[in-house]
Amino acid sequence: MDRLTGSPPAGGEITTATPVPVDRPTATPEPGRRRRPGVRWRDRVTAWLLIAPALVYFVVFLLYPALAALYYSFTDWNLRTTPDWVGFANYADLLFDDVKYPHFWQSVRVSLQYTIIAVPLTLMAALAQALLLNTIRRGANVFRLLLFLPVVTAEAAVGAIWRWLYDPQYGLINTVIGLVGIPRQNWLNTPELVIPALSFIAAWQCGISMIIYLAGLKGIPSSIREAAIVDGAGPVQRFWRIVVPMLRPTTFYLTVTGVIAALQVFGLVYVIFSGGGNRSVTGGPEQSGLTYVLHLYLYAFRYDAMGAACAMSFILLVFIMIITALQFKFIKQEAS
Amino acid sequence: MTSVGSSQAGRARRARGIPKQVRLTPVYVALVLLALVSVVPFLWMLATSFKHGSDVYTKVPNLLPMDRKTGEWSPTLENYEHVLQLGGLGRAFLNSVWVCLVLVPVKLLIDALAAYAFARIPFPGRDKLFVVLLAGMMVPTITLLVPRIHVTQELGMFDSGWGLIIPNVASVLDIFLLRQFFMSLPGELEEAALIDGAGRMQIFWRIIVPLSKPVLAVVTITSFIFHWNDLVWPLVVLNDPELYTLPLALQQLASTESGRAYYIMAGAALAVIPVIIVLMIFQRRIMEGIAFTGLKT
Repeated sequence: MDRLTGSPPAGGEITTATPVPVDRPTATPEPGRRRRPGVRWRDRVTAWLLIAPALVYFVVFLLYPALAALYYSFTDWNLRTTPDWVGFANYADLLFDDVKYPHFWQSVRVSLQYTIIAVPLTLMAALAQALLLNTIRRGANVFRLLLFLPVVTAEAAVGAIWRWLYDPQYGLINTVIGLVGIPRQNWLNTPELVIPALSFIAAWQCGISMIIYLAGLKGIPSSIREAAIVDGAGPVQRFWRIVVPMLRPTTFYLTVTGVIAALQVFGLVYVIFSGGGNRSVTGGPEQSGLTYVLHLYLYAFRYDAMGAACAMSFILLVFIMIITALQFKFIKQEAS
Repeated sequence: MTSVGSSQAGRARRARGIPKQVRLTPVYVALVLLALVSVVPFLWMLATSFKHGSDVYTKVPNLLPMDRKTGEWSPTLENYEHVLQLGGLGRAFLNSVWVCLVLVPVKLLIDALAAYAFARIPFPGRDKLFVVLLAGMMVPTITLLVPRIHVTQELGMFDSGWGLIIPNVASVLDIFLLRQFFMSLPGELEEAALIDGAGRMQIFWRIIVPLSKPVLAVVTITSFIFHWNDLVWPLVVLNDPELYTLPLALQQLASTESGRAYYIMAGAALAVIPVIIVLMIFQRRIMEGIAFTGLKT
């Protein structure tokens, strides 16, 4: 084995021509695995000391909250009272009691609708951008940067900017669609238009998927493309017969991560539907923009029902796990 | 017809039949249109933020700060002055700068040290422990939100600057990325240093850190962008307007001044411009870094 690769199996014996003490191989992936016991003990102490801050953080702000959330989901609780064990009551009430939680299923519906529209729209926009960028050399960096800008924009700013763009009277969107003869719309105040309007913002922010698609496209060997051209395949045929199948793993990855993110959308809808003075956030006209996590947030921090909010968060967790598992099963079946 | 030696590529080129410049024209047209969709919202934001209040609400939207009557170029800074002082965005801007200045380096240090131990120092149970950490990454942030607030309260950090920093001071995702990179570094230098009697910390600072500058830069900048933009955590942990970070103050401004788009757009510009500058400076590496890790912690 080449001693410069530095990647032999952990702790493996490495023969070497260099004259060094026999019990000390020159190239191990983790230097110090075979050091003297005293040193090894010191190493262990060092390692634990280095990990300690991160580990404390992990226990206090990740592990404990996750377990606590599960426990609280079985209690009646707000931040000031002691949690009162109620068993599965929160879950049962959320799912079946539409007097106590009148908008729970509405929020489920909104999030599912948003996911079903926003994710494919985002992927299509991203793929189109990536395909175009992949055919050019000159100016590609500039275009890529411009198309990526919406990704790094704070959601508070995104919400503010798009509320202004969607303004029914003075907004730019209505002017632009007016140019092609579509009548003015009151986008964020018409229940049927809220989800499409939000999905368009999601597609506007498709830069991350675009970069990943671009990497996927670069991974398609040019010999395949050249061969297809020689065989007389046109661009449309090449797209459906080569590009789409070769990008399937990328599309799968982006779909899974996109669905998980879309189900959790919160900050943007919070900003978009919290304007208009100090009126409380209600999730848009007729709750048409009341996403699942916005609903959860309202119960946790407006209506002081932390126990129920935790139950909602676990329903979401389980739902996300099921969807992820299904998607992976689907891809495995297809692969075999 | 060309000579006998006509290659496959040559034939392919003829199959396309059209010169490259002409063939690429529609591609560039499409890209320009898409880039406009991407950028015009920002230009509209900037234009509005520089307009006098009386020039904002016009029948035909104006993409430049022009006087509505005379049509003359008449930008103004008064919206910025207003939101920075009366709107409280000046204070919020400084708060955000402070939080990022403290949080980002401390977090990077904690994550890098842990990643170094996980990647390079063998100890019993190490890899199992790391798997547990990774499993913790799968839990959605929203599930953790309520108990985290409770923990923050119990620690006496609710509604304080510490409450913005401590609950965000490490990131499993960053530890994971740094560990991957550290594991890919060759072991010889370290081994030689160990034989020469160097300590682990010396090795970390003298060997690992200099070799890892690219990945450290990516983690630093994505972490900065994330915390500069973060709305949700400050929203739930802060009550005191004096402590508001920029996104939170902007959100507040947008709901109290909802009839005055010029103020809101000036505030949005203050939040957006620093990040755009950072992105322009570090362009490519950062875009790829963000693309493959997601903008989250």
